[in-house]
Amino acid sequence: MKIGILSFAHVHAEGYAQNLRTIPGVEFLGLADDDPVRGRHYAQQCGAPLFPSYEALLAAGPDAVLVCAENSKHRPLVEMAAAAGVHVLCEKPLATTLPDAQALITACAGAGVTLMTAFPMRFSAPLREIKARLDAGELGPVYACNATNQGELPARHRAWFVDPALAGGGAVMDHTVHLVDILRWYLAAEVVEVYAQTNQILHAAEVRVETGGLLMLTFADGVFASIDCSWSKPDYYPTWGGLTFELVTARGAVRVDAFKQNLTVYRQAHQRPAWAHWGSDANQAMLEEFIAAIREERPPAVSGLDGLRALEVAQAAYASAASGQPVRLDRPGPAS
Amino acid sequence: MRVGIIGAGFMGTTHAAAWAETAATLVGVADSDADAAAGLATRYHARGYPSLQAILAEVDVVDICTPTHLHYEMVLAAAAAGRQVICEKPLARTVAQGQAMIAACRQAGVRLLIAHVVRFFPEYALARSLVVAGQIGRPAVLRLARGGHRPQKAVGNWFLDVEKSGGLLLDLMIHDFDYARWVAGEVETVFARSIGHSRPGAPVDYGLAILRHRGGALSHVAAAWAYPPPTFRTGLEIAGDGGLIEFESAAMAPIELLLRPDGAGSTPDVGKPSSPVHESPYTTEIKEFYAALAHGHPVRVTAEDGLAALQIALAAAESAHTGQAVRLAPLPEVQP
Repeated sequence: MKIGILSFAHVHAEGYAQNLRTIPGVEFLGLADDDPVRGRHYAQQCGAPLFPSYEALLAAGPDAVLVCAENSKHRPLVEMAAAAGVHVLCEKPLATTLPDAQALITACAGAGVTLMTAFPMRFSAPLREIKARLDAGELGPVYACNATNQGELPARHRAWFVDPALAGGGAVMDHTVHLVDILRWYLAAEVVEVYAQTNQILHAAEVRVETGGLLMLTFADGVFASIDCSWSKPDYYPTWGGLTFELVTARGAVRVDAFKQNLTVYRQAHQRPAWAHWGSDANQAMLEEFIAAIREERPPAVSGLDGLRALEVAQAAYASAASGQPVRLDRPGPAS
Repeated sequence: MRVGIIGAGFMGTTHAAAWAETAATLVGVADSDADAAAGLATRYHARGYPSLQAILAEVDVVDICTPTHLHYEMVLAAAAAGRQVICEKPLARTVAQGQAMIAACRQAGVRLLIAHVVRFFPEYALARSLVVAGQIGRPAVLRLARGGHRPQKAVGNWFLDVEKSGGLLLDLMIHDFDYARWVAGEVETVFARSIGHSRPGAPVDYGLAILRHRGGALSHVAAAWAYPPPTFRTGLEIAGDGGLIEFESAAMAPIELLLRPDGAGSTPDVGKPSSPVHESPYTTEIKEFYAALAHGHPVRVTAEDGLAALQIALAAAESAHTGQAVRLAPLPEVQP
């Protein structure tokens, strides 16, 4: 199976290129990027062919592509891939607007190609352990959740993450969708209401998007869940950030730290401690699922609709932050 | 200075031990349960009294450690008698009661001090002093949490009667509402959810609140009566534009007991993590109150602070009940 990467705008693309090379029967075809400097840089770094255009890469006959463009550029690339009959794994958030997300889902469905949203946390070993225990009834019914997906300012790695036109927003757009997806998966229920407060105190001199955000979601089954999506980890924190949650159930509570499987490393050269993660690579498992779904001609574990549903919550959070009151999501129906 | 404690329960007992560390004289303990009053009083060579009225003439300071719903009438009676007043948190059951209590004490020319003890816990006091000293810049996003098991009280006990105690939000969460305001300033809006409101009768209770402060900072507050006994844990995180403070009691306890059964039929003592300090925060609190009343020294928490914390907690309960965000009216008692 031949797989290409469309754009290296997203920081995950580098890791994906390495992940692909470890999967038997998969050939990393190469990459294309609308930023030629970035394209040359990463082609050289990955030791992979650089195609002169997205069209040229798609003409080289890939079976699938990973779309790692800036958030607002996902739609044209996914539509192009779908038109070429190529399966797509699309970075999160699926798009920056709901019409764009719907359009790229429709394009893939119409072309009969697989569309998977890149939600790697579904493949986190600690989070899968919790899913299994929930489904086995070991933890009791969930009543509430207190979650965080905090990070450092992502502009440190890619400037476009804090450009509202390209990213679709700030911390809310960047760090809400992972936990929305995990909670929808755990609860098998949809979000029906969103409340949010945001601010711009952290990194105020550098960026013009929200850097602090607190959300409260209510699910159809009455579960309420808060999400702290703030870019509140400083650059000198031991790691990039993290994802944690406390699930409160009829039996008590379960506290989970998805990225706690670290070594604490003190290096003379760095003068501050760092956490070196030794836990299983969720991205690797996510890519293996994408490829397995294509090979087995079955839907992937995470769909395009899952990406759309998470985006709806992020958009509702912006509406709530603007109005100061909770926003209803009138979208009855069971989880996909 | 002659002191009378009203209420011989857990908090009265705690305060009695703290008063013994001051130069004040504990004259007596009043409780409608004569045995409880005499039992506690005897330990400190004091007398038991049947009521507040019975002890008023004997003391300079009344220390009210009774159930929440009794605070209002007792503070008014003590003020009317011209006695200095210390009152446990929460100040009262309603804002109007609290305002009347403050007005009565001002009119009578007596002090009213509210025992918000978290301000006296060394980790909380240190974190706040670091913020005040500018060590982490301007606070942007605060995360505060505390929780344990549901209070193990007999059916009919005041503590489990929401009308009398105010429940989880007014009794436990108010600690962190007060602390959030102490660190990040006056609160503008409150949005909250709680299991007590969403699932009355559930075996656990848990509350989450999102505060927006007037200065723009956001606070996330969590409170739990959900964990198995003897768990009690607290956590704080203050992200500023120049740094970050993190504290998690369970992770930072200096002592962890991992003892095998002692052979005398006891269960393994895996107890709660212990964090011994030279002076109990309750003693620090009572010593500071003593110095304020005896010598006019400054005190870190006022009746007006107690009123503001009460207003936030009641707004959280209202929000959890109505589902809407609640905007707080500025309190005339509180100087901005």
